[in-house]
Order: sequence, then C-alpha cells, then structure tokens
Amino acid sequence: MMFMNLIWAWGHPEVYILILPAFGVFSEVISTFSSKPLFGYRSMVMATMGICVLAFMVWLHHFFTMGAGGDVNAFFGVMTMIIAVPTGVKVYNWLFTLYGGRIRYTTPVLWSIGFMVTFVIGGMTGVLMAVPPADFVLHNSLFLVAHFHNVIIAGVLFGVFAGYTYWFPKAFGFRLHEGWGKAAFWCWLVGFYVAFMPLYVLGFLGMTRRMQHYDVAQWRPWLLAAAAGAVIVLAGIACQVAQLVVSIGQRQRLLDLTGDPWDGRSLEWATASPPPAFNFAIMPDVSGEEPYWTIKRAALAHHELLPEPRYEAIEVPRNTPTGFVSAFFATLLGFAMIWHIWWMALVGVAGALATFVAFAWRDRSEVLIPAAEVAALDRANRSARTVALSQVRAFR
Amino acid sequence: MSTVDTPLPFDPYQVGRARVDNPARGHGAGGPAAKRVIVAYGFWVFLLSDIIMFSAFFATYAVLAGATNGGPGAREVFDVRNVGVETVFLLLSSFSCGMASLAAGARNKPAFYASMAVTFLFGAAFLTLEMREFVGLIQASNGPSRSAFLSSFFALVGCHGAHVTAGLVWLLVMIAQVFAKGFRPEILRRTLCFSLFWHTLDIIWVALFTVVYLLGVLP
Repeated sequence: MMFMNLIWAWGHPEVYILILPAFGVFSEVISTFSSKPLFGYRSMVMATMGICVLAFMVWLHHFFTMGAGGDVNAFFGVMTMIIAVPTGVKVYNWLFTLYGGRIRYTTPVLWSIGFMVTFVIGGMTGVLMAVPPADFVLHNSLFLVAHFHNVIIAGVLFGVFAGYTYWFPKAFGFRLHEGWGKAAFWCWLVGFYVAFMPLYVLGFLGMTRRMQHYDVAQWRPWLLAAAAGAVIVLAGIACQVAQLVVSIGQRQRLLDLTGDPWDGRSLEWATASPPPAFNFAIMPDVSGEEPYWTIKRAALAHHELLPEPRYEAIEVPRNTPTGFVSAFFATLLGFAMIWHIWWMALVGVAGALATFVAFAWRDRSEVLIPAAEVAALDRANRSARTVALSQVRAFR
Repeated sequence: MSTVDTPLPFDPYQVGRARVDNPARGHGAGGPAAKRVIVAYGFWVFLLSDIIMFSAFFATYAVLAGATNGGPGAREVFDVRNVGVETVFLLLSSFSCGMASLAAGARNKPAFYASMAVTFLFGAAFLTLEMREFVGLIQASNGPSRSAFLSSFFALVGCHGAHVTAGLVWLLVMIAQVFAKGFRPEILRRTLCFSLFWHTLDIIWVALFTVVYLLGVLP
C-alpha cells in the first residue's frame, strides 16, 4: 500500500496534468468559433489554479478499500467532490461563451461540444464514486473503467483532436479536410457511447476489470454491444487517417494563405502559416486579453494594416539535437538500471553527460536573423493580409 | 518607469534585481526579464520539483521508520558522530560555494578555482563518509533488503548522495568551463544554477539529518 500511495500521490495530479492542457484547447476553440471573448477569463484561471492545488489532495480515492479508516476516507471523499467545483466553473464558462455567440460548427467545435456533454457524464459518475460507501461497491468494477475512459477519452483525447484540427493549418500551412473530420467525430462520439455506456451497466452487474474469461450469460449482450462500439471507434480512427491523407493530397485547395484561417482572436493567428522561426517580426504590444482581435478590428475599421514597423535583426536559439540525444542515453540508463545491466548504465550516464557538456561547450548558442530577412518574411505576411482586407471590403 | 537613483541593493547572486539596465518591474512592463532571471526562475522550478520528490522519500521513511522486521532499528545502526562530521563538511562546502559565487561575481579566477576546489574536497569528504557508513551497514548484513526501515533509509539518504555525486561532476564541469571559456554571461548563469543546486542539497541534508539521524537516535 506504500507503493500505491506513492504512485497515486504522483498519479492523480498527473491526470489533471493530462486534462488541463485539453481544457485550454477547448477554451481557445470555443471562444474563436463562437466569435466571442472567453466568458469569465479570470474565473477560468482561478479554476485552473484551484484544480492544480486540489489535485494533490485527492489521491487516496483510488483505494478507499485499503482500510485507512472512516476519517481518512471521508477527507479524501470530500476533497474529490470539491475538485468537481472548479471543473464545473469551467463547463459553465464554456457554455456562457457559446451563449449568444455566432457559432460556426467546424470540426474542432464538434469535438468541444462532444467533450462537454460526455465529460459531464464522466464527471458525475466520478463524484458518485467519490462517496466512499458507493466506492466499496464499485471499486475495480467495470463502472470504474467506464468512468475513467469517460473522462480521459472524452476529455483529453477529444481535446487533442480539437487542438490538432485547430492548429494544423498554423503548423503546416493548410487546413485539414472538414468532411472527413466530421465523419471521424461522429464515428468516435457514437462509438464511444456504444462502447462505454454498457460498461457502466456491467459494473452494476458485478463484472470486475482485467478478467481473463467470464461465464455469466447475463453479461454477454452488453459486452457484444461494447465490442460493436469499439468497431465504430475504429471506423473513426480510419476516417482520421483518411482525413490526413486526403488533406495532404488536396493541400493546394486547403492552403491557408492569410495565416488566420478561423478568424482567430489570439496572437498566433497574427503570424504566417507556418510561422517563421522568430514568430513575431516585432514584439506585439499586449494590453488586453485579445490583442490580435483588437489589431484586426482596427485594421478592418481603417481599411489598412498598422504602419510597417522598423525591422531589426532577431536573435533566435540555434537548432540542436541535444535534447533528443541525451534523452536517448537517459532512456538507455533507465532500461539498464531496471535490468541491472551495469555496463549499459555507465554508457547511458557517460553518453548523456558527454552530450550535455558538448552542448555547454558551444561558442555560439544563438543565431541572428538579419533585418532584411525578417522584413522580407513579414512583408509577405502583410501583403497576404492586405489582399484579404481588400477582399473583405469588396465583399461589403 | 523612473530610473533607479537610490544606491543599488546588494546582489551577490547577480539575479538582476540590482541592474539599472534591466527595466523589468513586473506586469510585463519594460519587456521580458533579463536572461539571468529567466534561467534562475526555470531552475527554481526544477529545484521545487526535486524537493517534491524528496518529500515523497521523506514521507516513505516516516511511515517505514519503525518497520524493522526484527532487525536493527535507528538507534542501533546510526553513528551520530560520523554523521555530525558529514554535516559539518557539507555545511562548510556550502560556505565555500558561496565564496565561489562571490569570486565569480568579482570575475576573480584564482579565488573562483580555489573556492570551487575547496567545495569539491568537502563534498567528496562528505560522500566518502556516507559511503563508509553504507558499506559498514551492508557488511553487517544491514543492507537495504534487511527491512522496510533500511530500504527507505537507503532510498532517501542514497538519493541525496546521488544528488551530491551529480553536483560534484557538475562542479568539475564548471571549473573546466571557466578555465576554457572565462566568465561569459551564460557560464555565470550556470554557476548561479550550480550554487542554487548545491545550497538546496544542503537544505535537504539539514532536514535529513534532523528527521533521520537526530530523531532516530532520540531516547
């Protein structure tokens, strides 16, 4: 139980480390495609920090059945219920961001709305299991398995998929195919419900996790339904592969010329797609929550971009494979230590150290991008935006 | 944003608070902070994560300190005099590490080499005494597999010892860097990180000395 305590004292904060970036993705996506600023930005930040702190105080709910006693179980049960509060704050903020917005139902938005509905179900089953007496019945049953897939797939994975679709054009210069993306979403969403809702029922029917075989006839229909759901999810994965292949094939049609394909609000959309190594030709002046939106409104109102800045050379870090190489040696070290292969452990330590010292010995760790190159790249970005601006005027 | 015309505060670790040419005053005013500040901040985040890891080892030790499985307990295996000498060595090495920081601040190479060498010697002496304690315990068949108490003891104290070993290697690299490259800004930043690391190991040792050894031999 010592080990269980240690691993979950680390492991439970870790599941929040999984979900918090996904929450950030949803905030960006929902705000952009609702054409509204994020509702309750400050409460969003407070909720994130609240989750960060509370995440360290709930780990024992993984083993209420350990026998730590009523007081300990009650404390961790209550803390687990409390951590649902900041998460609830976030869900309401996303709902209020959508409310009254001009929502564009693109693929990232579908992932976000699918997330909100499904994640709330997973959250509610979580609060249910936070009640220690209930957990004594549900511990290690398929109800638990359904719960954590409910929050991790619908939370983290949907968030990753939303972010992947949303920032793909920024990273690679062309958008992903919407049709295949939507097909993938619907397969995933339907497949998820068909695969995991039966697991809640199976948990109530007494099925435990990690069984090698079973001989309860009553479970069979539910397990067959879950298997069918897995096949539908597989179809969703196939659609995602197809989406990537088709998008690469049609990249000329899907090209993101302006660097701002979604009518974005945050600063990354002020750069070209893909962005230059220095990101911003001049450091943007940030005085509000949506600096790029402010710049864009001004440009649309005055029918022109801000005057061209005076370009200066920009210092950026030199590319280096050090991280990759020392990670390779560190992995070697970890492997060797597990299997007591001492010579390999030595190779791992020496290799990682040598890589690092070689990195530290470099005389130049930065390169200067000359002002002329910065100017050329930024002017290309500006001219693409000027064309877009004139098209907006013609349209009006 | 007025310029600073009061006397500059004492800033031996060159964290940048005292610099007039660093206009960063918080809330993003004055642009990004100086590189020293950014590097030191990142290193503090690392140190805090390291301290969290140590806290897990401390908690484990606290839980298992009484689980001797019929074997020897803390009072039988600890030689507080030996550990007291170890502690003095480590504290002195922290002092000379501080001197090395001052020498680096003054760009005084001989003083830097001398202080770093003294730091190395005290660190190595600390490690030697610790190794002697470990070897003695193992030879008396009181190794980590004897009891849960000894497992957690070797894990906690050994983890600190591994940090000191890594610190000694880092120290040698820093001497070599200053020798080969001089007091360049990035090397001064690394020296700053090294001294933060070394002092943190000292703080952890003070906690370790108290929790493991002093509380262990308390009658």
